[in-house]
Amino acid sequence: MIGAIKQAWANFRGFDLTGSTVPPMDGPLRPNAKLDAAPVLLDLADVDNLALWGQEVLCSVGCEIHTLAQTAGEDGQGLSISRSRGMGKPVTSMAAGADLLAVAVEGEGIRIESRDGASSELIVPEALDARCVTAMAFADRSTLLVAVGSDRNPARDWKRDLMTRTAAGSVWRIEIGSRTAVPIASGLAFPSGIIMSKDRVFVSEAWRHRVLSMGIDGSRQQIALGSLPVYPGRIAPASEGGFWLAMFAPRNPLVEFVLKEDEYRRRMIETIDPDYWIAPSLVTGRSFLEPIQGGARKKLNMLKPWSPTWSTGLVVRCDKDMAMMRNYQSRADGDVHGVTSLCEADGRLLVAAKGSGKIVAIHELAGHIA
Amino acid sequence: MASSDTFAYLRSRYLPDHLIGEILSKRWIDNAIPFSALVLTILVLGSVIPDFLSLSSLTDLARQFAEFGLVVLAMTVVMISGGIDLSVASVFSLAVLFSLIGVNVYDLPIPAVLAGILAMGMCCGAINGVLVGYLRLRAFLTTLVSLIIFRSIYEIVFVMMSTSMMSGFSMSDLWLFIGEGTVLGVPTSLAITLVIALAWHLVLSRMRPGWRLTAVGGARRSAFNAGIDVRFMVFLTYVASSTMCALAGFLFAARLGSTGSDTGVGLEVQALTAAVLGGTAIGGGRGSVAKAIIGSLLVLMLTNGLINLGISGPVTSTILGAILLAAVFVDMRWQKHRHRILAKVYVSPAYLSLPPAPKVDAPGSPYVLNDRLRSVEIIGLGQIEGPEDVILDRDDNLYCGTRHGDIVRFFGPDHERSEVFAHIGGHPLGMAFDRNGNLLVCIGGMGLFQVAPDRAVTKLTDETNRSWTSVVDDSRLRLADDVDVAPDGRIYFSEATIRYEQEDWATDALESRPSGRMICYDPRTGKTHTEIPKLVFANGVTMCPDGQSFMFAESWTCSISRYWFDGPKKGKTERVISSLPGYPDNINRSSDGNYWLALLGMRGPALDLAMRMPGFRKRMARRVAPDQWLYPNINTGCVVKFNEKGEILDNLWDLGGRNHPMITSMREHKGWLYLGGVSNNRIGRYKLPDADPDWCAQDAYWGPRP
Repeated sequence: MIGAIKQAWANFRGFDLTGSTVPPMDGPLRPNAKLDAAPVLLDLADVDNLALWGQEVLCSVGCEIHTLAQTAGEDGQGLSISRSRGMGKPVTSMAAGADLLAVAVEGEGIRIESRDGASSELIVPEALDARCVTAMAFADRSTLLVAVGSDRNPARDWKRDLMTRTAAGSVWRIEIGSRTAVPIASGLAFPSGIIMSKDRVFVSEAWRHRVLSMGIDGSRQQIALGSLPVYPGRIAPASEGGFWLAMFAPRNPLVEFVLKEDEYRRRMIETIDPDYWIAPSLVTGRSFLEPIQGGARKKLNMLKPWSPTWSTGLVVRCDKDMAMMRNYQSRADGDVHGVTSLCEADGRLLVAAKGSGKIVAIHELAGHIA
Repeated sequence: MASSDTFAYLRSRYLPDHLIGEILSKRWIDNAIPFSALVLTILVLGSVIPDFLSLSSLTDLARQFAEFGLVVLAMTVVMISGGIDLSVASVFSLAVLFSLIGVNVYDLPIPAVLAGILAMGMCCGAINGVLVGYLRLRAFLTTLVSLIIFRSIYEIVFVMMSTSMMSGFSMSDLWLFIGEGTVLGVPTSLAITLVIALAWHLVLSRMRPGWRLTAVGGARRSAFNAGIDVRFMVFLTYVASSTMCALAGFLFAARLGSTGSDTGVGLEVQALTAAVLGGTAIGGGRGSVAKAIIGSLLVLMLTNGLINLGISGPVTSTILGAILLAAVFVDMRWQKHRHRILAKVYVSPAYLSLPPAPKVDAPGSPYVLNDRLRSVEIIGLGQIEGPEDVILDRDDNLYCGTRHGDIVRFFGPDHERSEVFAHIGGHPLGMAFDRNGNLLVCIGGMGLFQVAPDRAVTKLTDETNRSWTSVVDDSRLRLADDVDVAPDGRIYFSEATIRYEQEDWATDALESRPSGRMICYDPRTGKTHTEIPKLVFANGVTMCPDGQSFMFAESWTCSISRYWFDGPKKGKTERVISSLPGYPDNINRSSDGNYWLALLGMRGPALDLAMRMPGFRKRMARRVAPDQWLYPNINTGCVVKFNEKGEILDNLWDLGGRNHPMITSMREHKGWLYLGGVSNNRIGRYKLPDADPDWCAQDAYWGPRP
């Protein structure tokens, strides 16, 4: 009854009540194809968790951690795998401190390793569910901040977490020496990125498409960057100050609509394979069983760059207060989709696109692309 | 889950909510609001005022309506042409005055008086028409001035002649008959008005002068550019308007027999109110006789009713003014939002439950993923856009349609050179050759056409029989899709959907209603009739070798069926394939007696689930922009070969859609398979390894060249 009156008033005044709209990509998020133009350093399927530890660039693929080294290829900028070691179970997150490397292994816990390889201890905090550690960051030499995406789904089931509208994520502060873990925030909708800056902790809350900032003890929680048209992911520090923010999937009006349609969502989750859901994705077009939207139909053999898409590639450069400055994008017809991790190394930004399975490099000289 | 599905199925089948959208898209829906207001007024006044609907008061109302209706009709005609005529009131009163002078004072014969009054009306209208039409003065100001001038003439003459008018009277029977007589029970003046109204309705809606009038009002500059003599049309409307007002004045004089100093005062405001209440737009381009009639009935009934209730004159005017304000407001909102409302309400999804999709690439499945179509040779890359179907003649020339309305011929055997074989219009879709080598082509948006070998284009048919139960006018052909010819020359073609036009065909997928049909055109008699109604997006058609049946595809149900049009099984339909992994498009014969089928898109589980939830699709159609709707995945297509029993014999894919993302048709010719797609910009040519290298479809079906 109230709904009918509200709908009648909205019709009379001419505004829209549906709530399935997505903010436009404008201003600092203005579309471009810079990620597609960036040179590809390495093709590596499922590459994730780029980290710079000392002078080494590390990444993880599945259960293995690879060390990447520069190869002198034709353009002298390529990367290749120089060393690999297996962790037994899938690696969900890595963080590199000054001399410690934290590796979150699904089902086991958080493994802390030191530089010389001497000690490697496994922290298994009691209350912390290590199935879904999505991001970690060192606050200082002995404190590790851990973002746990969800209590109910492992990290690789993030799609299920979104489509069931779960908000069971939490942020923990771990004292490495005493191996204690203190929760500093809970009830978050999939925290997927975390970084410490001065006295503030920035946390990307993916399903609420915003970045929060809070104190080291979880107090003074505020929205640092809100109303994003994409789901924010991992955050990496920029050497010139500020941050690099990776967005792993775009918001889609149809997905927003399906999130409100409980019966269809329930039947879709129960009967269909997650790869073929109406849901954001790290990459599109792998199978013809995926759903497509009207604007994503190819006309004259071309896919329009602005067509609706389940996946995109987006890296945003933010300042020290997490305000967006500029972006590097791969649009619907591009092939650098699903950016999940970044790290700066040797004066350039390495971007790992897990969806498309490649690492590209962005060179910036005082804000210009080289 | 099953019970909610059953409920969805029953609701979708028995609650015809697609009718709402179809009714809203009719041309006469604009009259619905004033018409309901009229009905409401009649009901309210009929119940409040005793004897409001009695015969005597209705007769009186009818006579009043005869005069007032003519004036409103005059005003409406001028408004349709984009102008306004405020002088209707004074022309009316002048006509009353001079009729009475002619009849009462000078005792002239009635027909002469009528002729004189009509001539006077034409002169007044000509004055207005010259000023507004030829000298391009502003209509409002000009007719206001002529209103005042004609009124002044009335005042002057009235004062001079009033006593002689009052003392004279007429003995003429004709005068009495016009004023108080009836024709077949209908008052004479009403009969005259109804005849004139009917004539105007025919002119405005079905004849060229009326269309030109509406064009002048709707888009004056475009009408001028189209060659319409705008100034003459405007002149004519003013002449017609004043003539009708003069006739109305004549009828008024016959009824009342006298006139006063306030006759016709305020009539222009009343007529304007009635015209706008009925729904005629002041800016021009929109209006009709029905609107004028509804508006004048509304105003008359309200005025009479309010007077009957004892409400004084000024208060009645105030009430009428308030109603006019409300009417203008509602009309404005309706005009502004009509298209939006229609766009939202028109899409009415239905329940469709498909059998589970066959698993492609599973062990034992006849569908095997491959990349064989990746390596096709390309013909006409970038030269053609939208070749939905391709066909080859005996000389190896390739014909295809393009979205620009051309049929393009690529010269064999290398197909490098091309020329426009014929330009027809629309978007040519399915093609076939008949016995004499004429190219039959279904044009999306136009109908069934034929191109003779000497390139002469003739229209075979663009309409079929109208079914009684359809609100949509299904005698028109909106989307003729594929065609094939029976051995005796009868042409069978499919119409994909009666609810959507050529550019919107994919929205029919969202609906999945049985809105398609199979139509038969018989060139021997020139008659067209619907052979099989109520198919879900009837698409490909091809004749079976027995000459008595054809295979046809229904796209959204992913099925192929066979229909017998002759022989012992005449009229039967049988399912040949019930569950394809994708949506079938065109079917054509192969060299080994089997059939090639193009799948224009592949089924996906998300859309299959949505097909069983029509409420979900309806809400999606209303709340999400059309660009974002869930659609069949036409970015991947494939070609399938099947036999008469429905067994799958072969399939060809281009996974990833590099060369051929969507395939709507394929044609085998001399060992090659030619591929076409309705959103592609190329034709593909694939070498069939085991096919007969001399097989030509035309020779195989019709026999060798005569």
